[in-house]
Amino acid sequence: MLGKLLGIEFHEISMGAEKLFYLGPFPVTNTILTTWMVMAFLIALTLAVRRRFSLVPGALQSVMEIVIETVYNLVRSITGEKVGRIIFPLIMTLFLFILTANWFALLPGFGTITYHHVPIFRPPNSDLNTTLAMALITVLLVQVAGIVYRGIKGYLKEFITPPILAPLMAPIHIISELSHILSLSARLFGNIFGGDVVLTVIFVMFPVLIPAAFMILESLFGLIQAVIFAVLSTIYFSMSTAAHETEH
Amino acid sequence: MDPKVAANLGAAFAMGIGSIGPGFGIGMGVSKAMEAIGRNPEAADKLFTPMIVGLGLAEAVAIYCLVIALTLIFVGGG
Repeated sequence: MLGKLLGIEFHEISMGAEKLFYLGPFPVTNTILTTWMVMAFLIALTLAVRRRFSLVPGALQSVMEIVIETVYNLVRSITGEKVGRIIFPLIMTLFLFILTANWFALLPGFGTITYHHVPIFRPPNSDLNTTLAMALITVLLVQVAGIVYRGIKGYLKEFITPPILAPLMAPIHIISELSHILSLSARLFGNIFGGDVVLTVIFVMFPVLIPAAFMILESLFGLIQAVIFAVLSTIYFSMSTAAHETEH
Repeated sequence: MDPKVAANLGAAFAMGIGSIGPGFGIGMGVSKAMEAIGRNPEAADKLFTPMIVGLGLAEAVAIYCLVIALTLIFVGGG
């Protein structure tokens, strides 16, 4: 589509991630490669912080502590102390991964370094598979949390409230649970892929100066999307676990 | 009509019409939040997170339209 805009050759934009090479029977796409990079970066960062772990924090440790404490307080304020402690690791992992992945996409080289006309690096969240995997994990664990906290009976009872309208309400409840998968994954994917397309188009049209404004906007959206994903997952967890306390 | 043209037209309409509702929603959300902050400036910190979540939910509708439009442009129309 954008192969030639204003006479400038540019790599094709495609919805799906492009295959780079095969690792045995598994194709390795450019989003998987970038996901590995993000993972390596996060692991290296964590190890670097842990190696110089001290009571009086250094610069790096202070930043990490501020980030983790902010999210921890946010999660606890939504779900309460008990549930918050248990789901915090998952929420924090999702938040850090999404944020790092979104901000990695603004590094030079993303979408511009190509190999056989295929960009080597592509933002991980601009692949529906990545966001769908995260949404599936979240929604599945929300159901598990619902069963653990309310018992299998209480969990199933939630689907037939009010009991008089059970045949009508059950499908609606089930669809509303399933729609969380769609809304979580499509929102993140649409935002990041849309942002990527916009950045590409702007780069082709105005190569200097103006893309900077859009990149600032993109970095803001990257943060907001990470916050929204984390907060919404937390809210789903609190919805599936909190009814327990109101019933008694 | 040529499928490619039809797909592009569909994408344009999906995005154009689909952004009207979320635009209203986001505007209303922010205006009410600003009003609340104006009445009670100390509540600004407490209002911020629910506002962002609400905006995210409203914006999601436009993002669905964006996904549909992008699908039509890059995949649809053969």
